[in-house]
Amino acid sequence: MSLSDDTATRAGERPVRRRRRLRSRRPVAVAAAVVAVAVVAAVLVASARGGDDRPARQAGAGPIAGGSLTYAVAGTQVSLDPAVAATAVTGLIDRNVFDSLVAQTGPATFGPWLATGWKVSNGGRTYTFTLRQGVTFHDGTPFTAQAVKATLDHVVDPATKSAYAASLIAPYKEARVVNDHVVEVTLARPFTPFLQALSVPYLGIQSPAALAKPVADYRPVGTGPFSFVSWEKDKRVTLRKNARYASPPAGASHQGAPYLDDLVFEFVSEDATRYGALTSGQAQGIAGVPPVNAAKLKSPADFSFSAQETPGLNYNLYLNQTRGPLRDVRVRRALSASINVDQLVKNIYFGLFPVARNPLSRTTAAYDASAESAFASYDPAEARRLLDEAGWTTGENGYRVKDGKTLTLVWPYWAEGNKEQRDVLAQGIQAQAKLVGIKIERPTVDTGAFVGTYLIGGAYDLVDVSFARPTPDVLRFAFASGNTYAKAGGNVALVKSPQIDHWVEEAAETSDPATAERDYSSVQQEVLRQAYVVPLYTPVQLTAFSAKVRGIAFDAQTYPVFYGAWLGG
Amino acid sequence: MTAPTTAPYDPVRAAEARSRAPRRQLRPGPVLAAAFLVLVCAAAAFPGLLAHAPDQVDPAAALRGPGAGHLFGTDELGRDVLARIVYGARPSLLVGAGSTLLAGLAGAAWGLLGALGGRMAGGAAMRAADVLLAFPAILMALLVVAVIGPGTRNAVLAITVALAPGFARVVRVQALVVRGSPYVRAAVNLGLPPVRILTRHIVPNVVAPLLVLATVNVGTAIIAGASLSFLGLGPQPPDPEWGAMLAQARDYLDASWTLALFPGAAITLTVMSATVAGRALQARYEGRDAA
Amino acid sequence: MPSLARRLLRRLALTLVAVWGAATLAFAGMRLVPGDPARVIAGGVQANATPEVLDAIRDQYGLREPVLVQYGVFAGRLLRGDLGGSYQLNQPVSGVILDQLGPTVALAAGAAALGFTLAVAVALVTAGRPHGRAVSRALEFGSISTPNFWIGVLLLAVFSFRLHWFPVIGDGGLRSLVLPSVALALPIAGVLAQVTREGLERALDQPFAVTARARGATENRIRLRHALRHAALPVLTLSGWALGELLAGAVVVETVFARQGLGHVVVAAVRGRDFPVVTGVVVLSALTFSLINIVLDLLYRLVDPRMRPEPA
Repeated sequence: MSLSDDTATRAGERPVRRRRRLRSRRPVAVAAAVVAVAVVAAVLVASARGGDDRPARQAGAGPIAGGSLTYAVAGTQVSLDPAVAATAVTGLIDRNVFDSLVAQTGPATFGPWLATGWKVSNGGRTYTFTLRQGVTFHDGTPFTAQAVKATLDHVVDPATKSAYAASLIAPYKEARVVNDHVVEVTLARPFTPFLQALSVPYLGIQSPAALAKPVADYRPVGTGPFSFVSWEKDKRVTLRKNARYASPPAGASHQGAPYLDDLVFEFVSEDATRYGALTSGQAQGIAGVPPVNAAKLKSPADFSFSAQETPGLNYNLYLNQTRGPLRDVRVRRALSASINVDQLVKNIYFGLFPVARNPLSRTTAAYDASAESAFASYDPAEARRLLDEAGWTTGENGYRVKDGKTLTLVWPYWAEGNKEQRDVLAQGIQAQAKLVGIKIERPTVDTGAFVGTYLIGGAYDLVDVSFARPTPDVLRFAFASGNTYAKAGGNVALVKSPQIDHWVEEAAETSDPATAERDYSSVQQEVLRQAYVVPLYTPVQLTAFSAKVRGIAFDAQTYPVFYGAWLGG
Repeated sequence: MTAPTTAPYDPVRAAEARSRAPRRQLRPGPVLAAAFLVLVCAAAAFPGLLAHAPDQVDPAAALRGPGAGHLFGTDELGRDVLARIVYGARPSLLVGAGSTLLAGLAGAAWGLLGALGGRMAGGAAMRAADVLLAFPAILMALLVVAVIGPGTRNAVLAITVALAPGFARVVRVQALVVRGSPYVRAAVNLGLPPVRILTRHIVPNVVAPLLVLATVNVGTAIIAGASLSFLGLGPQPPDPEWGAMLAQARDYLDASWTLALFPGAAITLTVMSATVAGRALQARYEGRDAA
Repeated sequence: MPSLARRLLRRLALTLVAVWGAATLAFAGMRLVPGDPARVIAGGVQANATPEVLDAIRDQYGLREPVLVQYGVFAGRLLRGDLGGSYQLNQPVSGVILDQLGPTVALAAGAAALGFTLAVAVALVTAGRPHGRAVSRALEFGSISTPNFWIGVLLLAVFSFRLHWFPVIGDGGLRSLVLPSVALALPIAGVLAQVTREGLERALDQPFAVTARARGATENRIRLRHALRHAALPVLTLSGWALGELLAGAVVVETVFARQGLGHVVVAAVRGRDFPVVTGVVVLSALTFSLINIVLDLLYRLVDPRMRPEPA
């Protein structure tokens, strides 16, 4: 008889009865008990000690150099190469390692960074950058025009497997080294969002020497205020102060080296755990404060809490207008009118996330508040009327029926991508749509199926997504007919409107801000009128820091900037 | 105390023991357990009679503690926790009892094959069981879910696969004992057809102890199912399920810890009741004192 | 002892079959899944890989070979101890497992120590004392019937969120090991306590206990010096069972406490269908589980020479 016989009788039956005849005179159990007691005692003693072992600091007026800051974030990352990985965490971490050519200083304004100046010529197709001198990468390689060319070529090289970074500079044709400190970039067509693209961390300038190494040995090497030390998968990334830092962007808090000695990004996926890490002092700052806990952090003097609305596309529900019942604009508007977005968002997020009424967030350039009038907002009576009008009658279990078919919408649930209690919000939407007779199904799908069957295969009626990027050009990303997901775009409503295509393309190519603004405004009106999209909320970066942490600023993408951060008393 | 269970179940001896056992008075434990099980089964069968809609949201009344109106309080969408627990009984029981039932059936066929299938087929069947028993049941279930994906039905299948080989071993040992018993040998000597011996003598005597074992194991299966749900691999939202409710409650521990109280209590009480009932059944059947 | 050697060989052979079977099952699972792993490898949804990128990945991972060829490559690598590369983590599976093994072993060891200690202590105090026994029986039954993740969530709510006695992040040293160990240990301790107490009670009824009492030994001395030895073996035989419970429980408990560890990794891999990682953990645990059971089997033989190989 082997012991695994007990497998079938795990907790229920007491396995004692099996070996009644056996007896031992050896003190195995005694020895085991002694060892066990010792171990437990050690654990208890160790846990009685502990506590805060960071060095005490003097209180003072100015910034104090030194110390280590641990920032806990949700999620993890697959690669440290910003050109490869497009996740927000990678951007957040790599922002400290890499400088960009230009810095975004306002909704549509840009200042110098690694480029001290630039000139646009050839009808918006050629950008000539003059580069900052005397800057070196962490590995000692001098920063020159060659590095800019190497970085951009690396991004578009198919072997890099970049999708997002490459898509940001899709019109990129080539870069030419004019001399060590001048580089000329040629685009295939005029492309106004080019400067904005260059300002994001995904296009941070990398050391050509580091890029020349095999992929397996990749280490992020930039010119940024912190240099890369180590990456423990799924646990943390550690960065160290770049004492020679000499290239802060326009509008930086100070010049020279950063104050912190070490900057640690700790990966803690569970919301409640991350929050607990902050309150217990294990981390000095956290991203993604759970809204349910944010209220507690707002008041006490021990923490500083900040809410940064993300620019770009809101967290929106997109209605696939090419499939099933949603081909009818009345059904789309009925769904839109059945959802009490206001009430759900206010309560689930405790009033911390602004309720959205426009696909664009209000901090984005060209945001048009008046577009709201075209939105089919909450009105269940109107929703029922529209469904009646579209020929959907109420069936026996309360759901609408037409030609023997129940009004069923498929909204795939990609559990791995879930964050910010979006699954909870979706359950609320499901429940409210049910009240007017719309049945929403949410199959749980894994990444492969979500991309293959749904996003590319098109077997969905609804898809939810947010997309942060501080430019109205995101409207082209989300609604131009050529930008379907299969073509690396974000048009998941599968909108095919020549009118919208014209507006977004004209806006991307024109050099006249007024024309662009008018075009973008028309797009916002049209997509709401057609109910291709139901805006839900504006994602807010809820960050909290221990009150000891000073000098935190936020960049245009709402990432915290650690360059000027320091630890006070 | 009584004879060790290592001795395979012997129907003759058990029958003797039953007839000798004094008629026992009703004890409070099994009675309470049975009453609770009836309640849970009623909830699983007719949830609508016991509670209102479990998916009715009222965001304005979210995260209320227990009180009038909502006896067990409300969850993050203002849904009634009591209603969700009542409606959660069905998937929870389905996974627990359903997988045990399926595992019992599969295990019976498997074990009979192992005992009576000869060297080749029987040996192969039992080696297969050994392979499956080589790693912990929950890992086995996780592997199955990795292949077929999450969901109620898939969770049932996963736990079935995890439990069946254990049942198969028990059935095999039992079948070997019965096959070697004097009355089966007598039947063989009398020239009865093998099918008749199998269906009339071996199967009935194998099924009885299997049923007892299965009853005792329902609790384990319910915990395993709730574990899968807790990991997000069982029944999917918005369908209420106890394990999944606990997982959701974990995010709101700081705001409303009672949210984590009731689903867990439901699981534990059900498992306790099932085990007590199972042991009472076992004691009655084998004429032994229930522990 | 030739029969022992033969039995050992047989067990080892069975272990190999089990590991091979587990690996094959996992491989079959990997191929049965409808989706395209190339998407996952490419970085999932945000990455939105282009067809060229996907093709490069399929070539790199040999996903376009016939299934049998892929199986051959897989089995060949497995023989050399190479578990392949994770789809999601851009890292060899062996590296992932090595990284995560430590926290899981620490958790299991902590829970085992706690569980055995608690069980022995409770049994010593309550054996043969009707009132204590009744109370502890009820508690044991309760702990056996309670899912460890509920215990974990309640412990978190009380000791971490209310009282702030223990940290909420899982991998902050010994202090953070306490609550997860308790959650993992309690259900196991329930079973062990029952077994130990029954062993003790049987021993206390033995003639030697009467003799010892007659010689004037104190009750405590009899329990600690004499009876506990007799109760040791049944407890030892349960170690294999307890090990399985610890491994299985770690999967769930690590998730509750957001601890690093193999369980956490395997759950993430199952959700993301990262099959090389799932396969690696399954193969590893099948191997460990079988080997430890063989060792335990030998150990009983050493402890109690009366045990003879039984016909299987």
